[in-house]
Amino acid sequence: MRSSAGERVGQVSFAAWVLLFTLLVLFPLYLLVMVSVAPGSAIFGERPALWVTEPTLRFWRRVIERGDLAAPVVKSLTVATAVTLAAIALAAPAAYVLARLPARVRYPLVVGLLVTRMFPEFVVGVSVATRFAQLGLVDDYPGLILAHLIPSLPFVAWILVGTFEGIPRDLEQAAAVDGASRLQTLARVVFPAAAPGIAVAALFVWLYSWNEFLYARLLTTSQNTLPLQVFQAVDRGAKQQMAAVAAVLVLPILPVVYVLQRHLRPGVLAGAIKA
Amino acid sequence: MAHLSARGTRTPATWLARRWLDVGCALPLFAYVLLLTVVPILDTVRLSFTGSGDAAFPSLASYRAIFASEVFRTAVGNTVVVALLSMALQLLVGLGVALALHRRFPLRGVVRTIVLLPLGVPTVVAGAVMLLVFARSGYANALLFALADLVNLVPGVQWQFTPLAWVVAGGWRSLLTLAIADMWKVLPLVVLIFLAGLQAIAPELYEAAGVDGASRWQRFRYVTLPLLAPYVTMAVILRAIDAFRLFELALVLTGRVEPVLGTYIWSRYGPPTHDPFTAAAAAVVLAGLIAAFVALYLALVVRRAEATA
Repeated sequence: MRSSAGERVGQVSFAAWVLLFTLLVLFPLYLLVMVSVAPGSAIFGERPALWVTEPTLRFWRRVIERGDLAAPVVKSLTVATAVTLAAIALAAPAAYVLARLPARVRYPLVVGLLVTRMFPEFVVGVSVATRFAQLGLVDDYPGLILAHLIPSLPFVAWILVGTFEGIPRDLEQAAAVDGASRLQTLARVVFPAAAPGIAVAALFVWLYSWNEFLYARLLTTSQNTLPLQVFQAVDRGAKQQMAAVAAVLVLPILPVVYVLQRHLRPGVLAGAIKA
Repeated sequence: MAHLSARGTRTPATWLARRWLDVGCALPLFAYVLLLTVVPILDTVRLSFTGSGDAAFPSLASYRAIFASEVFRTAVGNTVVVALLSMALQLLVGLGVALALHRRFPLRGVVRTIVLLPLGVPTVVAGAVMLLVFARSGYANALLFALADLVNLVPGVQWQFTPLAWVVAGGWRSLLTLAIADMWKVLPLVVLIFLAGLQAIAPELYEAAGVDGASRWQRFRYVTLPLLAPYVTMAVILRAIDAFRLFELALVLTGRVEPVLGTYIWSRYGPPTHDPFTAAAAAVVLAGLIAAFVALYLALVVRRAEATA
């Protein structure tokens, strides 16, 4: 491969650009971990240090001992998983039906689902919170799960409509010809074919619920989820503690995101966009 | 399914008997959305047309009240500025990153994972970290300090760096901070959308253009950009819906200094005002803003592109 001067410059600037945005994305996350192990001297004052020379595990220990982490982790984990399962269970069949509808019926329905997101979440949240309070659903798992489903369902439906559209009808008709009932076709042919799209949608929903703050704030009085815990630490100004709790929030993201980007083949999102 | 509907299904009863599975599949979703989203939205709209205090309905009292409020007007202006600024930044940087990730290079998987990380960071945490970065005694200034040190190494150059207040300064600096914070958080989504678009472009098109003697820039302008257009539109619409609704970041970063519509609604609803009517009115205005922007964008950009295609 000939490497003219122009190509060299191109390669160097390409590498520089990749390095630049990678570092910029990592910088806040690096700060998070760094602050959680930094002694007070390093982070306060007019010019905080950009790296720590004497890391300390003091604040991690404090946070773990106070049990600040265990209960919120359990709550966030349970809610996130439950929301993911429920969202897929509710939205996938509906998305399948939508995908098989003629375009002029499907289009307004999908657009309508997206439009419901144009209202500030806070407003919907308050109305829902008031209703839930009357029903006694506050401060407990079911209420929060139901609340998280509200924005998740349209989102999952939108992604899965694209996925199901990408599954050719010939597959279903072949199965019918072989004598399979509608339900069997769905269970053994269609849904397995949609698995990558469902996996991606599920991961997105899980991440959303794990990180959700607003409904948690509105619907919680005693047991915090992790994001609430972080918010309280922000309010209190306890920088290192806040960083430690936040770091715990971010940890499960690493494997989830890694799996997500492995599954993201071009077809998955493209289908949703064409829809 | 085509071969099943060959028989006549004229009456609603037979239609239902045939389609019970479809209806059963779709009903839970739509019932849920109807009950828990549409109803609260309609409720909010109704609230917005109710004046606080008097029972007269409908009334424009709440709308008049908020438009008379300077805080509200500032919030609207800020919201529009931040949303447009964020979207411009996100689209430009997102495209640049997507283009880079589209090429093969060593460690691409690692870089891709890193770029996707902010997706999983809760907005509250992102806000908290950005607070650390952009505070007066924060890390952005620390970086600039380090830069100044480097620059001062050059003999004869003396740059006395005074730390800047980014967040609390108010005005464009606070808004810029918000836009950058939002961009960091949202970049992965935009990159994903553009990557999907780039991957959908058949390589033969580039080859054909190359055979015709097109330069790299020309290939980008005449092959890549037009074919990316639907993805750009999707990114714009998705981002518009969320950018105007900016709330948690603004609450954590600039809440008291520069209001946006999200925080304005929050403040009207909570103590000390406890006024759901003006909050509802502001929310309706916000939704209207988003709808207007999307409609405007579709009309101006998409129609015009189709017309000249």
